Amino acid sequence: MRNLLLANTALAMIATSAMADVNVGNPMAMTGPIPDLVAPIAAAVDLAAKHINAQGGMFAGGEAYNIIRADSACDPTAAVDAVTKLINVSNVAAILGPVCSGATIAQAESVSIPAGVVTLSVSASSPAITDMEDGTDLVFRAAASDAYQGVALAELAIAKGMTELAISYANDDYNAALASAFSAAYTAAGGKITANEAHEPNKASYRSEVATLGATSDNLALFAYYGSGGITIMRNALETGAFTSFIGADGMLSSEVIEQLGAENLTNVTFTTSASDDSTAAFGAWKPLADAAEVPASDPFVANGYDATFMLALAIEKAGAADRGVIAAALRDIATAPGEVILPGEWEKAKAILAAGGEINYEGAAGNQDFDANGDVAGRFSKSVVVDGKWSAELID
Amino acid sequence: MWDAFGFEFVNFYLIPGLVLGCIYALGAIGITLTFGILRFANFAHGEIMMSGAYLTWTIMAIAGYAGLTLHPLVAMVPATVLVILLFLGTDRYFYKPFRKEETIKVVMASFGMMLIIRSAVQVIWGPNQIAFVPGIAKPNAMLRDLTGDLGAMIIMPNKHIFIFLGTIIIVIALSYLLNKTRIGKAMRAVSDSPDLAHVTGINVDNVIRATWIVGGICAMAAGVFLVMDTQILETTMGFRMLLPMFAAAILGGIGKPYGAVAGGLIIGLAEELSAYPWIGDAPLLSPGYKTGVAFAIMVIMLIVRPQGLFKGRSF
Repeated sequence: MRNLLLANTALAMIATSAMADVNVGNPMAMTGPIPDLVAPIAAAVDLAAKHINAQGGMFAGGEAYNIIRADSACDPTAAVDAVTKLINVSNVAAILGPVCSGATIAQAESVSIPAGVVTLSVSASSPAITDMEDGTDLVFRAAASDAYQGVALAELAIAKGMTELAISYANDDYNAALASAFSAAYTAAGGKITANEAHEPNKASYRSEVATLGATSDNLALFAYYGSGGITIMRNALETGAFTSFIGADGMLSSEVIEQLGAENLTNVTFTTSASDDSTAAFGAWKPLADAAEVPASDPFVANGYDATFMLALAIEKAGAADRGVIAAALRDIATAPGEVILPGEWEKAKAILAAGGEINYEGAAGNQDFDANGDVAGRFSKSVVVDGKWSAELID
Repeated sequence: MWDAFGFEFVNFYLIPGLVLGCIYALGAIGITLTFGILRFANFAHGEIMMSGAYLTWTIMAIAGYAGLTLHPLVAMVPATVLVILLFLGTDRYFYKPFRKEETIKVVMASFGMMLIIRSAVQVIWGPNQIAFVPGIAKPNAMLRDLTGDLGAMIIMPNKHIFIFLGTIIIVIALSYLLNKTRIGKAMRAVSDSPDLAHVTGINVDNVIRATWIVGGICAMAAGVFLVMDTQILETTMGFRMLLPMFAAAILGGIGKPYGAVAGGLIIGLAEELSAYPWIGDAPLLSPGYKTGVAFAIMVIMLIVRPQGLFKGRSF
């Protein structure tokens, strides 16, 4: 991680020295509550840029596609600061994804939308992002909305035979929205919610919370980031015996959870995440590329990170210039039919078609990445349980 | 399944509240002493807690490679020495130059130190969380069976017993130091009136050094107790404790170590007990507002009785 940060600093310095290149800003949550989840996503972003630069770079002149990384810390305030600097000082062509929903919404509302800059998030999944724009078309994301993940998780809970459960959610844009999507779907499917409480992130102890909730049910639906309370809540719940089974989503799906709590204590834990269908041709193209670079191909949002980076480059190539105003329309063009299908890693082919004035349609490793009117994409979800001390994912149909 | 426990209030509200209160109390002692004797709000105090916990973990990890399993309370001792040196070094090079200037300058210096220490820890240990002790802590079986036989079952993991005992020992040692020793009396004198103390021939520099050492030991203990409880090391843990600790110091009265202990316990208990279903089945106050409780108490105290419970300095 340290080396990564140093490498990024070096990358940023090189980037600023070559102003003719195409620069995109990449505010990732390098610090904050989920650094373990973000590190492989950042590696996937860098991998996509590497592939693009190795296969001829941008435009006819072969200019470099630079990722200028910043730290959004999964925090609205830090994201606004980081993106302000990227847009005003580094003068980037577009913003390639804050990771967390709260950070994405805050930076879009106060910085990137007023500046007319496209945001393409790699993993922000809050349903609130769907209709946050008022008349503009600048916010896109390469990850599916939690309006769908909430439903998938509710169906999973019913399928697991949980007829009643208690909900605890962190009060932020991602977790609160997911909890509300989940509770609506779960109630509609016949489940009974015995208690539904927000919790304050980053507390040293959640024993009173789990005691209050635990008195109502043995099942907990936990919506939190693992690093800002999620692990502590699970630890307190397990220590006091308040809950026996847990379900939750992406924010908790980290190997840290197993490392800190011990696999033997996590026999009744299932977390869902946005996932790739590994039977598609696009995933088949992505897997060997990721393996060769030692990037974990199937980890949460890693494929989405690659797709987003690749699509943004395609859009800029299609637009013919790193011009902020035309990227949004180009992004829609290259991601949707009609056009020759482009798979992950096929930069040379895409570049040739675009140079000849042809149409392309990028099919991503994470999904088909066809943006709808709101800049959202559809997606699949997987459920993960602990097997032999590791998270083992299975795609949900 | 909760019927089997019976004693829900004590085990899930009172004991956690006291554990949190002990940690706040130890942290607040250092804050109240620096505030009383050096006359500034030390923002870097939480980072001292945090860096101390990281050093303790490192010493445990090094001992682990050598085949030794050190208890955190043992590993804490060499870590405390390092942290005290860090404390004295920052005072010598960052705070002392501003001592004769307006207070705001040294407050800003401490704010800067806070950011420097946190960033240094992130560079050295990385921004990821580190498991202090992996796994979950089961309740102490002996205590559970013993109290269960008496009809008042207490379920408490060993780590909480260590935290309680450690806090009691430190507070007793502190009260001995302040009441019986020469340097302790000098510290109280400087806290009450620095000019008068200076005139009577007290060496103020020695008192300042003693303040950092005592504050450092308490901050170390608070940091290590905190990670013993949460079992997670991460770089903003000290900062998150800072504001409730300030609230505890103000509640107890600035410059009053016993006030800080009382204030810490009150804040810790108030935070946890506010979520108890006192009326009906729902929590009295949504647990999401726990932090607000500490500040509500602090604000009310500042309005009603600015000198604090133990008649500290008022501003």
